[in-house]
Amino acid sequence: MARKIQVEELLTEQGEKFQFRLLAGEKGLKRKIFSSDINRPGLALAGYTGVFQWKRIQILGETEISYLNSLNPKTRRSSLKKMMSFEIPVLILAKGLSPPTELLELSSERKIPVLITHLKTTPFIHLFTEYLVERLSPETTLHGTLVDVYGVGLLLTGEAGIGKSECALSLVERGHRLVADDLVRITKIGGTVLMGRGCEQGERLRYHLEIRGLGIIDVPSIFGIHAVRQEKRVEMKVEIAKWPDSGDIDLTGLEERRIKILDVEIPYVKIPLAPGKDVAFLCEVGAKNYLLRVTGVNPAKNFDQELIRLMERKKGEEA
Amino acid sequence: MIERKVVIRNQLGLHARPAALFVKKASRYLSRVTISKDGIEVNGKSILGILMLACEKGSRIILKVEGEDEKKCFKELLDLVKEKFDEE
Repeated sequence: MARKIQVEELLTEQGEKFQFRLLAGEKGLKRKIFSSDINRPGLALAGYTGVFQWKRIQILGETEISYLNSLNPKTRRSSLKKMMSFEIPVLILAKGLSPPTELLELSSERKIPVLITHLKTTPFIHLFTEYLVERLSPETTLHGTLVDVYGVGLLLTGEAGIGKSECALSLVERGHRLVADDLVRITKIGGTVLMGRGCEQGERLRYHLEIRGLGIIDVPSIFGIHAVRQEKRVEMKVEIAKWPDSGDIDLTGLEERRIKILDVEIPYVKIPLAPGKDVAFLCEVGAKNYLLRVTGVNPAKNFDQELIRLMERKKGEEA
Repeated sequence: MIERKVVIRNQLGLHARPAALFVKKASRYLSRVTISKDGIEVNGKSILGILMLACEKGSRIILKVEGEDEKKCFKELLDLVKEKFDEE
């Protein structure tokens, strides 16, 4: 789903962090930013608007301002007018550079907000892009529990009451870390990475588990602060399923099943519940098996190939 | 109880993929399923045991099914072997 930021929000929520001040165009504060990419409009100012990325945030640094200042007032006005004929979401002046008066006039006229920051252009762009990527990345919320097991982010899923939280509790007891229970917010970063965290609004609401029969448990208070972590990359989905449900249980591990979350594929395993099964322990082994595979070792494949070789030899001996 | 000698016909023999298919089919029935080869008998609903038999192409196994749904179960498992587990 596409996410957006209103310029007004940017000013009120991030104003302090980026030292933003509104210079002109307050009537355009409702404009929305959809892209985390930024643009330096040098070429647009020089008159070439053929491939002008006008939907992006436009950043004016020393290059742009000194270019504008080198023009006579009439040319400057028409150059700015051409650029600002596009529905630009917001213009940002970096390094505290003072803008030409024409820019301020036009921005009020065109209702395009102009912000100024005292941060230097390049550091500002880096810092700002980091914020934009996180704020604008596709996001989804899933029912499940996210735990960090041996450094592998496991997303435990399964129907309500099947024992996801109990499994997380056992894992925490074994020294692993809880990220979020019940609701996990997953953000896609850079197109390939899924980052998961809790949905709680307040810091103090985090890291609680609801355990049937016991009620709400405060994990860091009982197990220590090392038993939790704020966010973790989601690397594998582990579904806890009712037994018997043997229909699509993977018996060999040859298939390497995968599922998509926000269009990113991750490995997926299904663990059937049955008396005597220690699901938390199975999660640990699942995480270790995943780590083995990441390093290029595939136990199921190796086993199968060895078996096939053995049978080939036997066939040869008989013939 | 139904018992019969069956020949493995697929090129690669009873390796992991066909064995998984066999176990999944067998597990849907109540009947007890066993496979034996060279005097060793294994449970037909447990994959590792079947793989340990290392049944190559041309090897003879004894398929044994016993229980209330044995007829249907035996036919389905026999067909699976005959059809070479959908392999070459």
